[in-house]
Amino acid sequence: MNRLLLWFHKLGSPPYFDRFAARWAPWAYVAGLIVMAWGLYGALFVVPADYQQGDSFRILYIHVPSAWMSMAVFGLMAVYAAIALVWRIKLCEILAMACAPIGAAFTVITLLTGAIWGKPMWGTWWDWDPRLTTELILLFLYLGVIGLYNAIDDRRAAARAAGFLAIVGVVLLPVIRYSVVWWNSLHQGQTIRLMGESTMDASMVQPLIWMIVGTKLWFIGALLMRARADNLRRESGKAWVAQLATAADGRTP
Amino acid sequence: MNDYIEYVIAAYAVFFVVLGWDFVTTRLQIRRELQKVRRSAARAAATRMPSNELSR
Repeated sequence: MNRLLLWFHKLGSPPYFDRFAARWAPWAYVAGLIVMAWGLYGALFVVPADYQQGDSFRILYIHVPSAWMSMAVFGLMAVYAAIALVWRIKLCEILAMACAPIGAAFTVITLLTGAIWGKPMWGTWWDWDPRLTTELILLFLYLGVIGLYNAIDDRRAAARAAGFLAIVGVVLLPVIRYSVVWWNSLHQGQTIRLMGESTMDASMVQPLIWMIVGTKLWFIGALLMRARADNLRRESGKAWVAQLATAADGRTP
Repeated sequence: MNDYIEYVIAAYAVFFVVLGWDFVTTRLQIRRELQKVRRSAARAAATRMPSNELSR
């Protein structure tokens, strides 16, 4: 068997995944923190203030990466959920459900930092603007997935029901993305483009890229840890978890 | 850096508090799961112990 395929096959084993997550999650967290620290240094101390917005534009360096993460995590959750529904892979159920609280956290950051930026720039904390409203619906979808997963006792049935909601909810992602194009929105249009020229000055873009990379690394750490917690919960009756619990006795896991 | 500084501080505080909450709750969840397993193992061990009544 191909070595990569063999590794994927092994990763499906709960004890193997636990060891993998316990080993790599701290590294992902540390890498994320270092990259974000570098990005924040640039955002707060290197980049000059915007000529119109003053220093309030520095909020963008946490708002934009969080907004991208809120959508990317939902997409990833739906992919895991679809794989779990089609091939009944337990690990994909766990990973899909682990995505939900992290994505919800990034959505909360997006909404709150957007409101904080909006007060001095728009003169209001909130407006029922298409972009803001669709992002709020995204938060409700995340909360729906979390609530549904915790409302059913059978973990596998719960993951299937919540996964189905995640797959259906994906239809919202293009609506959020194009809301500023389709409707007359108070929210500004696309400033940063992966393909083509950004309307933001190049000197201001670099810290943003670091922050985007940093939040992704942080997400990997958070996903592995949350998946590990759910994996332990599901496998709590198994001998390997008892061995692990005894070995970790008195130590922080 | 002094224009709208209070808004910048508040926004960054939200960012770190939410990410910190996510980090702490996950670690606590793992600790809770392992404690639960340890407690149930201790209970199972206690029920397996021979009683003094039978050995008399």
